[in-house]
Amino acid sequence: MNTGRIRVIVRKEWLDMRKNKMVLGMMFLLPLILVLMILGTAAAFRYVPEQMSDPLVPEGTPGLPPALAQMDTDDRTLAILNDQYMFYLLMIPMVLPVYIASYSIIGEKETRSLEPILATPISTAELLIGKVVGAVTPAVIAAWASFALTALGMYFLATRPVFLYLIRPIWTVGMLIHSPLFALMSASGGVIASSRLNDPRAAQQISGLLVVPLLGVSFLVLMGRVYLDTGTLLWVTPIILALNAAILWLTVRIFQRETILTRWK
Amino acid sequence: MIHAEGLVKRFGDNLAVDDVSLEVRQGEVFGFLGPNGAGKTTTVRMLTTLVAPTGGTAWVNGHQLGVADAQVRASVGLLTEAPGLYPRLTAVENLGIYGQLHGVEDVPAQVRKYLTLLELWDRRDEPVGGFSKGMQQKLAIARALLHEPPALFLDEPTAALDPEAARVVRDFIETLRGEGRTIFLCTHNLDEADRLCDRVGVIRQRLVRVDTPANLRHGLYGRSVRVRLAQPTPGLEASVAALPFVQGVTPLEDGLRVALDDPETHNPNLVRALVAAGAAIQYLEEESHTLEQVYFDLMAESREAVA
Ligand SMILES: Nc1ncnc2c1ncn2[C@@H]1O[C@H](COP(=O)(O)OP(=O)(O)OP(=O)(O)O)[C@@H](O)[C@H]1O
Ligand SMILES: [Mg+2]
Repeated sequence: MNTGRIRVIVRKEWLDMRKNKMVLGMMFLLPLILVLMILGTAAAFRYVPEQMSDPLVPEGTPGLPPALAQMDTDDRTLAILNDQYMFYLLMIPMVLPVYIASYSIIGEKETRSLEPILATPISTAELLIGKVVGAVTPAVIAAWASFALTALGMYFLATRPVFLYLIRPIWTVGMLIHSPLFALMSASGGVIASSRLNDPRAAQQISGLLVVPLLGVSFLVLMGRVYLDTGTLLWVTPIILALNAAILWLTVRIFQRETILTRWK
Repeated sequence: MIHAEGLVKRFGDNLAVDDVSLEVRQGEVFGFLGPNGAGKTTTVRMLTTLVAPTGGTAWVNGHQLGVADAQVRASVGLLTEAPGLYPRLTAVENLGIYGQLHGVEDVPAQVRKYLTLLELWDRRDEPVGGFSKGMQQKLAIARALLHEPPALFLDEPTAALDPEAARVVRDFIETLRGEGRTIFLCTHNLDEADRLCDRVGVIRQRLVRVDTPANLRHGLYGRSVRVRLAQPTPGLEASVAALPFVQGVTPLEDGLRVALDDPETHNPNLVRALVAAGAAIQYLEEESHTLEQVYFDLMAESREAVA
């Protein structure tokens, strides 16, 4: 494994992305809309009083974490809404890499640029890892930037307990450690799916299935059935890591030189 | 430089390449001719480690396929059928990626060298998506040469180019040949093969024939000269046929066709004999067969062999 060659591919992916308005737009638009929604909600709570007559989670609901139990009704509602939004933010690194990886591979098919690349000393693993990393990094940066912006906005718009509740370890750890792992999985999924399909949208939808388990968890949280805590989050980390390693290994195994040439066309 | 032994490639039930053995020497320009689907690209892909042979093996620059693939790839430059450039990137960016992948020491210098040689330096910072086909093809050739590979594979370098662009590319190949690089040239253009190649291989799944263009022509038709006479000369045909070095005489409307194995040696004697027999010679010229005729005849032959 030659990291220099991986870096060349990653840099090429970034360079190409910077010149691709479609991908660039996707990368900025989705996170931006989300951040605006989150901060808009917080602003509404702050400047439009008494708009929530029906509290989302009434006082005295059993199993309420102490931090939430101690808040007033409005704060508690906002904090819970924030938690739900955070799932969408966490989905940025799941969704974007699929898009980026699909575009990148379908682009290579269209320009027929894989054959000359494969005729250089690069190994299949180096090429694929370069593609995956090239798709993961911008998505993770977009997710981190969105989280940072959200936190900053919340600092100014919401009360201190709501702000502290937002940046509690579960989300910071989730953002810092889990979102790159989700992104890796998603990019590998994008590589696998788009190598068989010629339409980025179809590839995205199929690899979008990866999001389903997370959506399930998110739904449970929305229903108030599960309160995620840092312990649970740390506990699932090795599982996600193993899953990642397996998918990456599978991707490299599936795509030998010849398969890439014949399938990626 | 390139040594193949019994290369076979099957795609499912489809036998694309069957038992191809060949030897291309260092510094040689080897032409690879054959109809569509004959297996030219597949052979090149095997020799550049892009697809694995189903049978047989080969050595490129001393490195064996399947054993030292990375070394094989480091020793070859490949111009693929499609240029395969990144359209949004500039010429310099496109080449830079390949220079780095090949571990070229001074990438900017090499990029500059080949962009200048191929007259693309002035357009170096433009996205190549806007380049003409000819410019894209030249850039793809530059890309194949950045790491100064000892062996260069060109898969139909002038197909899809207008005559002028094709000539620029062809002239460039001639320059490369002067540098002692081994060139493996797939082409449909028989004039091109005739002009550029030291030897040609004709393939149709199997290798039908390998020889120099000249030998291919002569081997198939023998050599002959055409004598044009001012007026018919009675008895001339018989007296020419009686000459010991003449292998055959065919009367033509305005003269004779005389088959000889070595016109360079025997033409002076032939001319003397003709004059002595009273012939009024207007012209005497070697009959030339184009490689195209040879090619069509070889193809007809191989079709018969299959049938
Ligand atoms: N990846 C592949 N999968 C299945 N069959 C293939 C594949 N690549 C080539 N073939 C088949 O192998 C045969 C040889 O194809 P190849 O591309 O080598 O021919 P070629 O001589 O380069 O033709 P052309 O002059 O059209 O470029 C054809 O019958 C082709 O359909
Ligand atoms: Mg071909």
